[in-house]
Amino acid sequence: MRSLVFERNLPRFAASRLASTLGSGRGAAVGPLRLLDTEPPALPGPGWVRVSPLLSGICGSDLATLDGRSSRYFEHVVSFPFVPGHEVVGVLETGGRVVIEPVLGCAARGIDPPCPACARGQLGNCERLAFGHLKPGLQTGYCADTGGGWSHAGLVAHESQLHPVPDAFLDEDAVVVEPVACATHAVCDAALGGGETVAVVGAGTLGLAVVAAVSALSAAGHVAAPGALFVGARYPHQRRLAGELGATAALAPDQLGRAVRRKTGSLSMADPRPRRPGGPLTGGADVVFDCVGSADSIGQSLAVVRPRGRVVLVGMPGRVHVDLAPLWHREVRLLGAYAYGTERLASGATARTFDLAFEVVAAHGLGRLVSATYPIERFEEAVQHAGAAGRRGSVKVAFDLRHKEARHGEQPHGDAHGDAHGDAHGGEQRHSDARHLARSTTSGRDGRPSTGGTS
Amino acid sequence: MTPRPGLVLEVDGSTPPTLFWHGERFVLEKLPEGSRVIYAPEPLVPLEDPVGAIRHALLHPLGDRDPLPALLWPGMRLTVCFDDVSLPLPPMQAPDVRQLVMEQVLDMAAEAGVDDVVLVAALALHRRMTEAELRHALGDRIYEAFAPSGLLTQHDAEDPDNLVHLGTTGKGEDVEINKRAATSDLLVYVNINLVAMDGGHKSVATGLASYRSLRHHHNPKTMVHSRSFMDAPSSELHSSNWRMGRLIADSGVKVFQIETTLNTDTFPRQFGFLQRREWEWSVRDRAMYAAAAAALDRTPPRVARQVFHSIRAPHALVSVQAGEVEAVHAVTTANIWKQQGVEVDGQTDILTMGLPYISPYNVNSIMNPILVACLGLGYFFNLYRGQPLVRRGGVVILHHPTPWEFHPGHHPSYIDFFEEVLSDTTDPVEISKTYEESFATDPWYVHLYRTGHAYHGVHPFYMWYWCAHALDHLGRVIVVGGDPAAVRRMGFSPATRLADALEMASDVVGRSPTLTHLHTPPLLLADVR
Amino acid sequence: MNHARFPFRAPTWPAGVPRPAPERRVGLDYDHEWSRRYPVRLARAIVLDNVTRPAARLIAPATVRGAEHLRHVASPVIFAANHASHLDTPLLLTTLPVRFRHRTVVAAAADHFFDRRWKAAVWSFGVAAIPFERARVNRRSADVAAELLGAGWNLVIFPEGGRSPDGWAQPFRPASAAYLARRTGRPVVPVHVNGTRHVLPKGGQRLPRRSPVSVVFGTPLTPDEGEDARRFAVRIETAVAVLADEVASDWWDARRRAARGATPSLRGPETTGWRRSWALDPRPKAGPDPWPSV
Repeated sequence: MRSLVFERNLPRFAASRLASTLGSGRGAAVGPLRLLDTEPPALPGPGWVRVSPLLSGICGSDLATLDGRSSRYFEHVVSFPFVPGHEVVGVLETGGRVVIEPVLGCAARGIDPPCPACARGQLGNCERLAFGHLKPGLQTGYCADTGGGWSHAGLVAHESQLHPVPDAFLDEDAVVVEPVACATHAVCDAALGGGETVAVVGAGTLGLAVVAAVSALSAAGHVAAPGALFVGARYPHQRRLAGELGATAALAPDQLGRAVRRKTGSLSMADPRPRRPGGPLTGGADVVFDCVGSADSIGQSLAVVRPRGRVVLVGMPGRVHVDLAPLWHREVRLLGAYAYGTERLASGATARTFDLAFEVVAAHGLGRLVSATYPIERFEEAVQHAGAAGRRGSVKVAFDLRHKEARHGEQPHGDAHGDAHGDAHGGEQRHSDARHLARSTTSGRDGRPSTGGTS
Repeated sequence: MTPRPGLVLEVDGSTPPTLFWHGERFVLEKLPEGSRVIYAPEPLVPLEDPVGAIRHALLHPLGDRDPLPALLWPGMRLTVCFDDVSLPLPPMQAPDVRQLVMEQVLDMAAEAGVDDVVLVAALALHRRMTEAELRHALGDRIYEAFAPSGLLTQHDAEDPDNLVHLGTTGKGEDVEINKRAATSDLLVYVNINLVAMDGGHKSVATGLASYRSLRHHHNPKTMVHSRSFMDAPSSELHSSNWRMGRLIADSGVKVFQIETTLNTDTFPRQFGFLQRREWEWSVRDRAMYAAAAAALDRTPPRVARQVFHSIRAPHALVSVQAGEVEAVHAVTTANIWKQQGVEVDGQTDILTMGLPYISPYNVNSIMNPILVACLGLGYFFNLYRGQPLVRRGGVVILHHPTPWEFHPGHHPSYIDFFEEVLSDTTDPVEISKTYEESFATDPWYVHLYRTGHAYHGVHPFYMWYWCAHALDHLGRVIVVGGDPAAVRRMGFSPATRLADALEMASDVVGRSPTLTHLHTPPLLLADVR
Repeated sequence: MNHARFPFRAPTWPAGVPRPAPERRVGLDYDHEWSRRYPVRLARAIVLDNVTRPAARLIAPATVRGAEHLRHVASPVIFAANHASHLDTPLLLTTLPVRFRHRTVVAAAADHFFDRRWKAAVWSFGVAAIPFERARVNRRSADVAAELLGAGWNLVIFPEGGRSPDGWAQPFRPASAAYLARRTGRPVVPVHVNGTRHVLPKGGQRLPRRSPVSVVFGTPLTPDEGEDARRFAVRIETAVAVLADEVASDWWDARRRAARGATPSLRGPETTGWRRSWALDPRPKAGPDPWPSV
């Protein structure tokens, strides 16, 4: 059965690195990712089950891996060859739909007693990612033993990784639970105070998920409600979605600093005499979620955060060149936010991040973030689309594996709704598409930033 | 040849196309037959001896004032205030009228042995002038004599130490003005009265006032009831200023008002076609038009802007009068009407206007969308006496590229106004209620206003209030050639060509509307019967 | 990334060995003798005539009057001029008749022009500057100047001791031209430089602005018998004032006013504040309209 397999192959790795300079996602065609016939992975032990993926998303970290831009730090927590795909909704052999919580912590690795982090329920911080009876791998989708979501051969998952999907959820809703869980973790971990000014830099899947998480969790009383939530987004559809998901204002990136300055009544540190007053702010937002992870976005986050404020890195950074003088001088807290585990809520209660993520997805119908799906046979196109998602008016691009028989030369799926440039891929409509289309008729183009709630 | 008066032309089959300004460009548009085009009167003949005329005015003042030398004595405090960079438009060729007048005033002060003299640029909430602009307005001699010792100052409406509250008028309006000016033995105000709304009590009561004082007449309510503010008797803006001016006079501030009027010789000889009637264009005019239009088509907007902003108008002095404020202003207003007045019969359904590259608030700067609206709906719409040129519920068609572009140093609060306020509402009353306070007190804007060259935080609100009368009166505003996003943000409709705009207007005013084109600049004032 | 070790890099001084104080070689102690050696003079002459002079012409086109007074004067002499701008020195040097131009040194403030070695070198080379103590009679600087006068070098000196702060002249100090003239017996040529403050004002932040200037040479003065430096300094100042009056009006009126003792003072009116500045003559008219005429 066909799977997308990522092998350790240095020349191909170098080629993908080179090709990615032409644009994010271009590396897939020449890189180490190949479509192969594979056998289903063997069950590593008791407590493990087989899962057949229905939808599997393409994540920013997947793109970085395919483009050869991923940090070498991850070399030790990955085992080759692996089948990528950690945003997975699948179906069990018993018939139930599940979302996979991909982190391969102590429970999955059969390590008992668990490491201190796992003992505390902080699965994302597991200290045994390269040990136990599994090959190294920080998540399903990076481990040679478990298989991954981009495959018709299916994957194996430990029962601790399974989250049953409510019947009301579409497959599209379920596939975004994993990224929403990342955002939920970041939001819970940022320890929002009431009435704080929050800025979100970047409005791809993660940025929009953070916006949704802030508004849904604060509405449910799980976290304190911010005073204002500003989103800096490059593309009009992102601004429209951010506004719908509860942003106070969704703005073009160059407007974010001005809006934060106005809201917080701060000054700008530059000398006013030159033509362009507007250096870093003297005050700024209390919390900034950087949902991109590039040098530019981290730089912008540091420019709009107040002294002693928090910058939460939600998007995966790599080796970036950033001026840390403002961080040092303004005593900014720079926080990482990876994966998920157990969250402490405003009420003092604890909850599993994935359970909260299901709530967030349900509250906002986040399945609408899935803009296009592709069969795995057209992975080059899919990855290119994911790499240019913003520019092409899309958010999340996913592989559709519901079509069980992987015939050769299959037509692509035609699910291109919400794709503002109309690059539809032909093919027949899927059963879920009709329902899905009904919900996403709000799409439209807006040449300029819109303010949330009022536009 | 005596200058000809203004003209209302009825377009017929043999009328050549009409010149429309379009920002840093101009275009020729064929107007429908039966349209009217209002042309400004030709420039009046300048005074032969401007310096002599100025001296004569200072020595023979109007109203209840002694000649200037009699008002000067050693040991007195003398403050000389002057209009800022917003006048005249475009900036005039050197020497500026302010320089000519102030050199005479200062010569008299020097002769009288007055030691304590301070010059004040009456900025109100405008941006501070740069050194080059001050040198241009006052001349090097005045600049070099006063600037190095700090005696050349610019009014700072946010300096609590240099403001004094003189009282409140009968209508509860606070009068708070520049302290140095208010506590001087004599306040000489040097005006350039480019249009009829300039001067009079507005000079001191507005030019030297603080936000606390200005908000009593710079608000949507006053503006809607200023019909128009070019016609002081029917202008609530001026009534308020007159009440304040009388209070200022009553509280013992002695103002020696000097008002000057210029002719409408607006463009240098090379650009003469811009102020000539199209059917009288000579071969040279046509060649210049063709060359300029072709060159501008190939010039990047930034460069074109620089070229246009380096134009210095050959404006010449046509009258100067000095003395007591109200007596002086009556004569000045008559002189302005003599130069700019045009009689127009009846209103029109559609008023078209081509907006040039410059407005009072973007000298040496960028004409941002708010200033486009203000120039069209604030200034040009209000160039009337009697009743508006366009009927109630009618349509105004502006011709301007309206780029989404701001000068971050000069107009920082405009950017936020455009992004934050106008994206919420375009209703002046709503805007003033919800947002004005927070912009007026934003410390960053205050800082930039006081130390940089930025307009005050509340200034974009005033620009929008200037449009209030027009927004209240009109059925629709269409901008030809404007950036659609910027135009829509302001609640107007973008059109690509004039023909499209006329088609869109027909939804509001019907299939066979009357159309009038305001052929300006040069400036004119329509006396609408 | 300098990993070079001792023989390949400069040694450091051991902490235990006391280090002698470095020799002060700036200010009055600057050794400027090199700047009068023949090759340096030649180089300076080339620069003065081919760089400095055209540059000065460009930004400050000068009208020179009274150069005929110098025709029959025996070199060396002392040129005593009023001082409003850094431009005065190069302007004066480049307008001097060739006979004097390449054999003239300039007394320059030791504290301003000689406080750094590179500055001292630049000025010594460019205008043959010698450090001069401006506040009081300093035996060493006066000795040097007198010695150079004795060796046949002409001297340019600004007796005000510095540039004018407000455009009007300051009192001429006796400790400069007058003292040197009495000591060496050489004549003093009064010089009036006008308009340089419009080109390059003191404390100006801007680039020089082109403006016409004038340089007027007067008839040489020698101290009378028994005239002390103080009184001679006043006489020099008056002579410069007469030249200024001549520029402002004409030669005949200036002479008549001088005869009546009514020459306007170089130091401006007795008022304070803005009226002092107001009484200064205005900047010459700006150029024509920059737009091409069609």
